[in-house]
Formats: sequence, C-alpha cells, structure tokens
Amino acid sequence: MVVQTDEARVAVEHPSRWEKIKEIVGTALERDPAQRASYLDEACAQNPTLRTEIESLISAYDQPEDDLSQSPLASPLLISAAPLQSIGPYRLLKILGEGGMGQVWLAEQTSPVRRQVALKLIRSGMLHSIALQRFQSERQSLAIMDHPCIAKVFDAGAAPGGQPYFVMEYVEGVPITQYCDQKKLPLPDRLRLFIQVCEAVQHAHRKAIIHRDLKPANILVVEIDGKPRPRIIDFGIAKAAVPSEPDATLFTQAGVLLGTPGYMSPEQIDPTVRDVDTRTDVYSLGVILYELLTGSLPFNTQQLKKQPLDKLLRILREEDPPSPSTKVDADGDKTIESADLRGLQPAQLVTLLRGDLDWVTMKALERDRDRRYGSPSELAAEIERYLQNRPVLARPASASYRLRKYVRRHGVAVAVASGGLALLIAFAVMQGVQLRRITRERDRANRITEFMTSMFKVADPNEARGNSITAREILDKSSKEIETGLAKDPQLQAQLMGTMGQVYASMGLFPQGQAMLERAVQTGRRIGGPDDPDALRAMSYLSFLLLRQGRYADAEKLFKEAIPGQERVFGANDAITLNTRRYLASVLEFEGKYTEADSVMTKVLADDRRALGTENAETLRAMNVMANILDDEKRVPEAEKLYRQTLEIQTRTLGPDAPETLTSASNLAGALQELGRLDEAEKLQRETLTARTHVLGPDHPDTLAVKANLANTLDSASRFAEAEAIYHEVIDTQTHVLGADNPDTLVTAGNLGSTLQRDGKLAEAEKLQRSVLEAKRRVLGPDHPETIKTLASLAATLFIEGKDTEARKIYSDRIEGIRKQPGQPGLGGAYYDFACGAALAGHRDEAFELVRRAIETGYLDSENTQSDRDLQSLHSDPRFAALVVEMKQRSSTSSK
Amino acid sequence: MSVQPVTELLVRWRQGDLEALQALVPLVYNELHDLAHRFLQRERSDHTLRSTALVHEAYLRLVHRGPIDTQNRAHFVAIAARLMRQILVDYSRHHRAAKRGADCTIVLEEAFVLPKSKSADVIALDDALTGLARIDEQQSRIVELRFFGGLTTEETAQVLGISPATVKRDWSVAKAWLSRQMKRG
Repeated sequence: MVVQTDEARVAVEHPSRWEKIKEIVGTALERDPAQRASYLDEACAQNPTLRTEIESLISAYDQPEDDLSQSPLASPLLISAAPLQSIGPYRLLKILGEGGMGQVWLAEQTSPVRRQVALKLIRSGMLHSIALQRFQSERQSLAIMDHPCIAKVFDAGAAPGGQPYFVMEYVEGVPITQYCDQKKLPLPDRLRLFIQVCEAVQHAHRKAIIHRDLKPANILVVEIDGKPRPRIIDFGIAKAAVPSEPDATLFTQAGVLLGTPGYMSPEQIDPTVRDVDTRTDVYSLGVILYELLTGSLPFNTQQLKKQPLDKLLRILREEDPPSPSTKVDADGDKTIESADLRGLQPAQLVTLLRGDLDWVTMKALERDRDRRYGSPSELAAEIERYLQNRPVLARPASASYRLRKYVRRHGVAVAVASGGLALLIAFAVMQGVQLRRITRERDRANRITEFMTSMFKVADPNEARGNSITAREILDKSSKEIETGLAKDPQLQAQLMGTMGQVYASMGLFPQGQAMLERAVQTGRRIGGPDDPDALRAMSYLSFLLLRQGRYADAEKLFKEAIPGQERVFGANDAITLNTRRYLASVLEFEGKYTEADSVMTKVLADDRRALGTENAETLRAMNVMANILDDEKRVPEAEKLYRQTLEIQTRTLGPDAPETLTSASNLAGALQELGRLDEAEKLQRETLTARTHVLGPDHPDTLAVKANLANTLDSASRFAEAEAIYHEVIDTQTHVLGADNPDTLVTAGNLGSTLQRDGKLAEAEKLQRSVLEAKRRVLGPDHPETIKTLASLAATLFIEGKDTEARKIYSDRIEGIRKQPGQPGLGGAYYDFACGAALAGHRDEAFELVRRAIETGYLDSENTQSDRDLQSLHSDPRFAALVVEMKQRSSTSSK
Repeated sequence: MSVQPVTELLVRWRQGDLEALQALVPLVYNELHDLAHRFLQRERSDHTLRSTALVHEAYLRLVHRGPIDTQNRAHFVAIAARLMRQILVDYSRHHRAAKRGADCTIVLEEAFVLPKSKSADVIALDDALTGLARIDEQQSRIVELRFFGGLTTEETAQVLGISPATVKRDWSVAKAWLSRQMKRG
C-alpha cells in the first residue's frame, strides 16, 4: 500500500495544482542547483505548502544513491562508479578500446606468470550467470585450441562490481581492413591474408567453436619477420556473451542490438531462427572479403542505422546486396579512393572484381545458408583456385534458365520485360490525352484537377504532421475518395478508376490495379452500355496488365473483346484502337500463334502507315513487331528486309544510339545470324552491345539480351568456349534482374544447353536441359514452341550420349501425343526433331527414315533442313539432297 | 502477398477500427507472456528481467515480416507496454505468494533509472504508478510507455499526441514523484 501524505492527497484533488507543480519542478530541475533556490522563491512566493511539496520532489530526484545489496549481476550503474585498478591478479594499465559489449583493457598479469594480457570487461546487464557457466565449460576446448592465428583466451571471471571479464592474449595489431589499406596491399596479397584467416577459423570449427562475431576489429594483423599474419581475437567470447537459445533476445536491456549488424548473418538476425553453425562464420568472412575487395560493406550500414531497427534487420535479412563489382562501379568518388588503396585505377578494379571474385564473394554471402560455402576451408580453396587462375566452382550453378530468342521479341518484349513501366506510362499518357479530349467541359476538368491536387495534398508535410506517407497510402486514400466522393459522377469515377488502376499496376501492385480496372469497366458499362468509351479503355489497360503478368491467354481474350467495340466507338484508325490491335498481335506472338499474329499485324501495319505515316514512331514499332513475327514464321529473308528498313529510318530520325534503333539493330543481327551471315551479325551485335553497355549499363536486361544473342552467333560459328563464357555471364545477371521464372528469362537457358551439347559437354548439357524443361513446362506450358524446343534438345543430347532408350521415348511420346490430337499439329516437326537427334547420335539410316516420315507428315521446310547443323552429318550422303528436292517439290505444289 | 495479421490489425486500429484493437491485444499478450515467462522461469535467483528487450523481441516476432512502419511500431509498443506491466505484476504477485523473498526485480538502465534505487520491486512500482494515474493519467502513461515499452521521447510524444517537451518534463517529475512514493511505501 502506498502511503500518501496530506500534501499528496491535496494534490489529488486539484489537477490544476498538479499541473503547476509539474511546471515548477520541471523548470527547477533544468536549472543549476545553485539557482534553484532563487527560482523557487519566485515561483512559490507566498505559498509555503507548495514550496515544501516541490522541494520534497526535487530532493527525491537528486539525492545520492543508497547502498547496493542486489545480486552481483544486476547493477549497470556500477561501471560508471569509482574506476577499477585491478581485478584479481590482473592490474589494469590502460584502455585499449570500447565497444558495444564493453571495454578492453591492457592489463598486467602478476601471477602465476608475469605478462601483458588483454582484459575484456563486459558491460553488465548483458551477461548472466548461466552464460558465464557456459563459458567456463568451453574454456577447456578454448584452451586446447592452439593455432598461431588465434589469440588464446586464458581466463574468465567476475569483477568486484559483478561485471564478467575475459582475459586474452594481448595482440598488438591492426584490424585487417585497416592494415591492408595502410600498406595499400594489392588484391592478391589481400586474398592471401584472407586465406590465412579462413584457415584459422576452420581450425576452430574443427574444435566445434564458432566465432559468431567475426569482423575486422576482431581480426588483427601483426608482422612477423616482415610478413603479415592475422590473429583472430574474441573467439568463444561471443558465444558466451551472446545467448543463442531460441528464447533469448537479440537485445540488451537498453535495446542495443547484440552483435554487429553489418557482419551478422541473416540467420543470426532472424528472431525465429537463431541457431548458428559454421556457415554463420562463413557469412561474416564473406562480408570481410567484400570489404577487403571493395572498401565498402555490402549493405550501407551508415544509411541503415538511421532506419528503425526492425527495418534495418529486415533489409539485412531479406535483400540481396550488390555484387562487389557492381558496388564499386556505382560508387564514383569512393571508388577512386578504394582503387588507389589497392594500387589500381577504378576501371581496373571493376574489371578484376567482375566474374570469379564476384561469384565467390556472393556465394559466401548467400542468405540461404545451404547455398553458401559449407566451411571456411571451401572458401579458402576457391580463392586459392582464383589466385592460380583456375576456374572457380562458384560459377552460377543454380542459374540454369536461359533465353534464346529474347532479342526476337524485342519490339514489344523489351518494353514488357524491362521497360514495361515506360510503356505502361506511355500507354497511360496516350490514353490520358484521350481523357482530356473527351472531358471538354470546364466543370469536369476542374474537378479532375481538384481531385488530383487533393490526392497529392497528403504529401504536404504540414498535412502529414511530419510523418512520412508512402505512395501506397496516397493511392489507397485516393481510391477511397474515388469510391465515396465521386459516387455522384460515375463517368468521372470510371475514368479516374481507370487511371488509378494503371498507377497501381505501374507500382507492381497488380491485384489492386486489376480490381480498380475491373470496377472501371463495370462502372463504365453501367453508364454507357457495353460500348462505353471509358469501359473500353479500361479493358485495354486491363488486358495490358494481364499481358504484363504473363497471362497471355486471358489477355488475348480480353483484347479480342475490346477491339470490336473500340473500332466502333473510336474508329479502326484511332490511336487507341491501333494500340490495342498491336498488343493483340504481340500476345499472339508470345503465345506462339504466329500465323494469327501475322494476319493481325499485317493489317495493323498497313493501317499505321496510312493513318500515322511511314516514319511515325508507332509505325516503326509496328514494323519491328511484324518483322519479329515473320522471323518466328521462319520467313527470315523478309524479316531481314523489314528490320533493315526499320533500322534505316530509326537511325535517321532517332539517332544511332536510341533504344529503338538499337533494338532493331539487334533484331537485324539475329536475322543475319539465321541466314548464316555470321560475321555481319557478330559485328552488329558487338556494336550494339557497346552502345547499350554505355547507355544502359552492363546489367540492364536489354544489354544482356544482345549479349545473349552475341553468344548465339558465336555458337553458330562454333566458337563454343567464347559463347559459353558469355552465356554464363548473362545467366547470372538475368536471374537476379528478371527472376528465374520470367518467361523471357527462361528461353535463354535452352541456348546454353544446345551450345554445351555442340561443344561435347554432354553431361552438363543434359543436366541443364532437364531443369530448363521442367521450368518451361511450368511457366510456358507443355505445348509452347519454346518448351518443345528444349524437349527436342534434351532428347538429342541423350541420344548423343548413348542414352538411346530415354531419348527415343521422349521423341515417340511426343509423336504419340500429337497423333492423339485433332489435326495432329506439328507432327512433321516432331519427326524432324527425332531425325535431328538420330543424325547427331550417328544413326544415319534411322535419320533418313525419319526425315522421310517428316516429309510425309507435313514437314516441308527445305531451307531449314539445308542449313540445320544438326543434320550436318547427313550432307555427304546422296539421300540428303534427294530428300531436300522432294521437300521443295511438295511445298510448291501444296497450297499455302 | 499475405500480410501479417498483427500488422494488418495495427493499421486498421490506427485508422480507427476499435475491433482491430480487440483482436490485437490477445495476440500481443500471448507473445509477450510467452517470452516473459520463459525468461523469468529460466533465471535462478536474479530475475533480471529485460522488459524493453522483450517488447522489441515480441515486435520482431509478430511484425517482422510485414511492411515496416514506424507508426505501427510505436503503437505496437504502446499496447505491449501496458500488457508487459500487467504480466510482470501478475508474475510477481504469484511468485511472491509462492516463494517468500524471491521477488521479481527489474534491472533499470541508466535512462530509466529511478533516482534512489537501481532496481525496483515491480509490485511497488505498479502500485506507485496506479497512484500517479489517479493524479495524472497521461503522466503515468508516459512512464509506462517509456519504462515498460522502451519508447523514446519522440515516440512517446507521437503515440500520445503531445509535444516531446511535455514528455520530457512529465517524465522527470514522474521519476521524482515515484521515487518518493516508493521510498515511503
């Protein structure tokens, strides 16, 4: 029970008096004690009871502390009390440093031996008796750990005030990163030093001791006989100091994070996982390697420290850092300094880091510990390999999705895959123009402006009272307003919902975007029936959204629904309608429905030329798409012609480095390659690659696209090693940038598989092709031309390897499957693929037989047959020429 | 994309949905209770309890996968602080009844230290706070948020909708008052 004096009781009854008391006490406490008396004279004039009350409160605040009689470990204040001079047999000499955990002192041990040691005093409140016990039990293993690169831990105990302490070998050294910078060590020397560190950590791991808190401050470098040697300190202490049971917290009492955020592995940070193993140390080593190579940490912890703690931790846990070369490439001024400290020019540093060193570092930094190096010695071995110019194992093993004709799709695909946002905005802007045209009434225009302004007014700092509002919140708020505020003006509502839907979509919030757009369509139809202009427009956006998500079948359906209405309402040659028809053609192309795409696009192109002009940007885009389709249909000479035309106009009107120009150039190169004009193709591709790298950067999907195609060309020229090297680079980046299951991403893998096959690396090819096939089936569907292609490639590989049974089964399964379908689509092609496999495997007679069957079941592409490398081995046989002739005859007599 | 239920509830609560608060409290309570008791039971004689550490922890566990929002965190901690106080007091009372002399003490960090004592008997603190609430509800809330929840001055100001200067002042005065009360009691 709390006893209250009369004074206090009085206070209870008079809240205004309490306010006054608070004010006076507050002010008094801010004043110098010397000046308080005079202040109180003033403030409490003529009110002695008030003054008494106030003085009693002030003295309660001020008086010196009592005796302490708590348990040894419960007094954080003690550290700031009278300075310690010695603890047990250790005489404290001077402070060496101070950290989150506590202080490190240089001490002199007086007995049983005289020597200098480092004594680490742990801030109390962090450790408790159980942890100390744990440490004691580990001392045994720590004691038998004897490695020249690991500082020994001699002793542990509790200081008089109760703080735990550890006594370690005194290492007079400099943190490794500092040492390397001071000496301006070049990369190989840094790496050799790093290898020593890894080996030391490995030694400890063999004794089942994980460090848990590896960072440069814990890895000191000393020079012995002029050579640098690392000494790792604090082994075993981190474990004792940082409790690792599942129900222990990450924080100290004061909310300070235990551990060093920049170097902590993701599993150490996740509160639901807290067990650590040797790979935790691998991660920290990865961070240190990163720092040694680039001069920066993978995550900008300075910036991050300003974030709220949970966000900081989430970022560290869930985001991927930039690769070392990317980091250095992007850093500008800092890079000049970093490169200099490594004896290099900035560009040289980037080049050196790119490739092997990137891969090795990133593998050590994998968030998923199963994908990291399993131990420090594996990491050390990799670096050793690098130093000896041998290939490292960290090459993208998991990145096995490949892109083949990525460039082919470029007319629209570029926009969809990488510049989708830009295109979406362009689409929206164009539609917006329509919006403005129709809403001519001043009233409505004003209301739109009003709405738009109010939408963004929330971002006004005064409105927001200093809180940061996200774009998302603005959107959501506005969505609400549209629904409630504009209910009286459904037409405006429909228009705005259409706009909002696009904005959501442009932020990647597809479900919300879709919902908005669907509402827009509904609302529009409610007002104006199925041909309501706003509804029609929204349908276009909606289909485009579906297209963006790769839902091609749905997009096709919706486009087809929208077009007749648009033709009726806006006219066939109106920009909106043309746009929609163009997108329909693209969707059909993506779906592999090339013939239909051709017929749609031919008409669109003709209309574009007539309505917009032959050199209009939209027309040019349409030409590109048309050429893509022609190419898909294997009408390559026509495609080449059209690409050239487009390229010529674009170079003239837009400039040689404009994105669209480069796209056409890239596409043209692809066509040339198909026509066998490899030198021309390679030249064009290298030019395009240079331009794109310069303008977009080396990791931009468009740059990668032309790179992939360059690899393709090199492959056609049988320059396999060069091709494979480039493919590997592209794969790695694309997995990061586009994602492994992006339809465009997937296609690339097939090519590498084929290249490997042609190069004779059959085991590798088989493995890759299998995983690509699985993914394509999942993402594109089992009947997509791309999936079929990979299927055929895999079968061919198996055939060549001599795994005849499986190969044949794949081919015949496919043939059987087609036979069951009405019309038996692609049956000839299936036999043809089988024939190719047989030819590659050396079964010539069988191959010829199959080609014949292919012809009989409808495969008549003599051009392809003649140029197909897979059938190379049959060329010398007279049967080959005969079959080609037969194909030609049949195709000229059959109606097309 | 599924959102953590707690995060969603927090957002809704902030937008004025009181039912969300109803749903939120038991979720938070369970988590805190779990954490606190595991902690309390593990210790032997010194029940060094890290209230704010547990609140941080609970927050991370419940919310750490959802979208990050500092406002959310402050509100979360506001609830958690109240619950934490309750949990500790309950534990102490129960414990005190069962084992004489084995009190639950809260180790106080420098920022939160009550003048005159390094550790505070939870029950005494709770009683004193209740007394303070009778005089000045807001002030006792400030103490609760800062002491049990570990909110900073700014965050406390934000949650309560008052100025940081007021928080600072009220906090100092509260400390003085509480020390005096607890010494007497």
